[in-house]
Amino acid sequence: MFPFWCSALALASLLFAGLHGASQTASKPAPDASSVAIKATALAEEGRCDAALPGLEKSIRVADPELKRKVGLAGVRCSMTLGRTDSALRFLEALARGFPHDPDVLYAEIHAYSDLSTAASETLARTAPASPPAHELLAESYEMQGKWDDAEKEYRAIVSQNPKLPGIHFRLGRLLLSKPNPPATVADDAKREFTQELAIDPTNAGAEYVLGELARQESQWREAIKHFSRATELDASFGDAFLGLGTALLSAKRMSEAIPPLQMAVKLEPQNPSAHYNLATALTRAGRREEAEKEFEIHRKMTQKGDAGQGQPAAEPQNPN
Amino acid sequence: MAGAVAIGGLARVVRAMPDAIYPFTEIPADKSGIRWTHTAGKSAERYLPETTGPGCAFLDYDADGWMDIYLVNSGKCDFYEPSPPLRNALYRNNRDGTFTDVTEKARVPGGGYGQGVAVGDYDADGFPDIYVTQYGKSILYHNNGDGTFTDVTEKAGVAAPGWSSSAVWFDYDNDGKLDLFVCQFVEFSKSLNKSCGTGDEGKHGYCIPRLYKPMPSWLFHNNGDGTFTDVSKASGIANSLGKAWGVVATDLNNDGQMDLFVSNDTVPNFVFMNRGKGRFEETATYAGVAYSGDGRARSGMGLDSVDFNQDGWMDLFVANIDLERFAIYQNNHDETFDDQAGPTGIGMATRLMSGWGLKFFDYDNDGNLDLFLANGNPDDLIESLHSQVKYQEPLMLFHNTGKEFQNVSAQSGPVFAKPLSARGMAIGDFDNDGGIDVLVAVNDAAPVLLHNAIGSQNHWLGINLVGTRSNPDAIGARITYQSGNLRQRRMKVGGGSFLSAHDPRIVLGIGKRPKLDWVEIQWPQPSGKIERITELPIDRYITIVEGAGKWK
Repeated sequence: MFPFWCSALALASLLFAGLHGASQTASKPAPDASSVAIKATALAEEGRCDAALPGLEKSIRVADPELKRKVGLAGVRCSMTLGRTDSALRFLEALARGFPHDPDVLYAEIHAYSDLSTAASETLARTAPASPPAHELLAESYEMQGKWDDAEKEYRAIVSQNPKLPGIHFRLGRLLLSKPNPPATVADDAKREFTQELAIDPTNAGAEYVLGELARQESQWREAIKHFSRATELDASFGDAFLGLGTALLSAKRMSEAIPPLQMAVKLEPQNPSAHYNLATALTRAGRREEAEKEFEIHRKMTQKGDAGQGQPAAEPQNPN
Repeated sequence: MAGAVAIGGLARVVRAMPDAIYPFTEIPADKSGIRWTHTAGKSAERYLPETTGPGCAFLDYDADGWMDIYLVNSGKCDFYEPSPPLRNALYRNNRDGTFTDVTEKARVPGGGYGQGVAVGDYDADGFPDIYVTQYGKSILYHNNGDGTFTDVTEKAGVAAPGWSSSAVWFDYDNDGKLDLFVCQFVEFSKSLNKSCGTGDEGKHGYCIPRLYKPMPSWLFHNNGDGTFTDVSKASGIANSLGKAWGVVATDLNNDGQMDLFVSNDTVPNFVFMNRGKGRFEETATYAGVAYSGDGRARSGMGLDSVDFNQDGWMDLFVANIDLERFAIYQNNHDETFDDQAGPTGIGMATRLMSGWGLKFFDYDNDGNLDLFLANGNPDDLIESLHSQVKYQEPLMLFHNTGKEFQNVSAQSGPVFAKPLSARGMAIGDFDNDGGIDVLVAVNDAAPVLLHNAIGSQNHWLGINLVGTRSNPDAIGARITYQSGNLRQRRMKVGGGSFLSAHDPRIVLGIGKRPKLDWVEIQWPQPSGKIERITELPIDRYITIVEGAGKWK
């Protein structure tokens, strides 16, 4: 944090100096709004955020882009220092809108949102430590650290408190499938969680999708087709679900039926080589060889491009085969 | 005192219990006499060929009816100069379970960085010849029929310079003579070797073959006068650049012309459909065997072709590297295939394995073709990258019940728990008891010879087919046999496995049935003749010569 604010202040200082110099050279009085902004940023630079923030807030829509940027950065810093979340969010919004690709602005956003996130989680832990969101947050954190058993405990705690809470069984199922060295029963255990999730929230397309995938892995084509179909009905933009449906139909030798979902998968995910490959295969098997060749060609180019981009030897995995 | 009596009693009970009969038992070197060891010459520079060999073969070089053994070693090349020099080994079968090293007398020592071996009687003189693939130039040894061989590579014109891996003898143009297909892996030389590191403690590892350029494989036409013509380009074979490890010659569309299935590493596999008139068409992508189900090129290594579901159409199998699953492709009868790795359970069982040598054969002679897999990860640093994957891996055995493949590795003998860097694998009945034995060639270690103890507990008939109009090894012959309610089909494919060659005889298992009603042979083209033989013996080997109409 410290280097960031130092650099932001230095930048603000430079901007201030430049503007001040330009103002003197022109020998014209600064417009009123600009004067307020310049004064406020100067106060911020001195670390006097209490005094600076009202002026910065007034100057948030100042016309001069450079000054506006400077005000925004100083405003974010002071708001965060004073714990004024509402104010910080307004400055962040203005900066994001006015300077969406500015590295300094992006850097400021990253740190501000991170601090806001930390502050909110601390508040949650302090004020409602046993609440389902607190368990969920902890579980997510454990998942990110690969502490699967700890994460599972947290999710189970939520389920015991509130068995009908949507999303938790889905996360549990996903977690079970993510664990390294899973027990032989992992697929059945996960299926149970996803099925419970759908009993609570029948609109969970993700749960339908994973159930479809698990059925596909077990070569249960009919079951896979049923779940993938539901997933596509629940979310018409779910490219992987269309791909799963198409490949399951292909495996069930329902070639012509496989084509429309695979075409949709290609439309939704044109950069997915697997979608092109499976569409090409379905077209071949349905006797539409000319169309298939086009898709195979796209797939070939994509995979060759992927191979070419595999990097240099030192970055390669060691596996020689 | 009472305690001592009790312990003595327990010891007597244990001694009185019969030894558990496992399907396969390892024959130690001091019993078999096979003391030769493979040396990979592993170096600090990590030259890729160090990871890939060797191959092995069962062959009857002296035509005495007993399977001998040939083993391939590394040797001198641009990146390796072993001291003392290394050599291949030919072991003659002493017919008592032991073998004698006759390499020097037979004059088949190799002489380069050897990889694999293919065996075929290319001049139809009744004695099998040996083709040794190498990194460098390969070698053709002509069998003189007197226990010696002559290096005829230059005269024959089959040196195939480059990095050759597996090879197969088969008759692609149905002229009755065995032609030769040689897999070429990648463009490689000492100067082209690449350096790869894990980034952990500066460890230096072998590179993934994706970094090397693909190469065309070779096809040599047998001119019938001891010479061959390179038809790689004219046949269309050389149009496809691959990184070929394995090859099997089979007939995938039942047109009587032998096709080729070639496994490639990190690039799509090939199916070369034989369209006649000396031309092949590469169709693997349309066939559905080039890529995984999600369209990724896998690391194809060992392979085989077999009619595993007995529908009269040859299916395909290819082993891949860890986390890719092996593939078992069922023939759809229209030059397309569906991967049945999921439904058969083979996909999940092989999820963490890297497969090289492999073969379908009926190890228990119940009439169904089982599957034997020899595994080992090529990367000696793999365990630092993947917690679940091992560098040395166990052998695997799948029993075909007629309905499904069951992984019976754990019940099949202690050798299936032994970690190995297995590469080549050949099958052959070295003691002529009807149980098909297994030879596993191990990278940088001694080979593992396995004796089959249960094949002889069922009835069987072993057949040696000799082509007269068709090719002498009868590659491509189709055999159907009936024993009571059991009817089975076999095809004599060329090659299969990895870098290795097999006992040319076909063993037909009939379970406990006391009689074999008939055997029908459909000889390969150009004759294509069908002969049904009756009044057959069981539990022995016989020879059937094309056109003779009877066995001897």
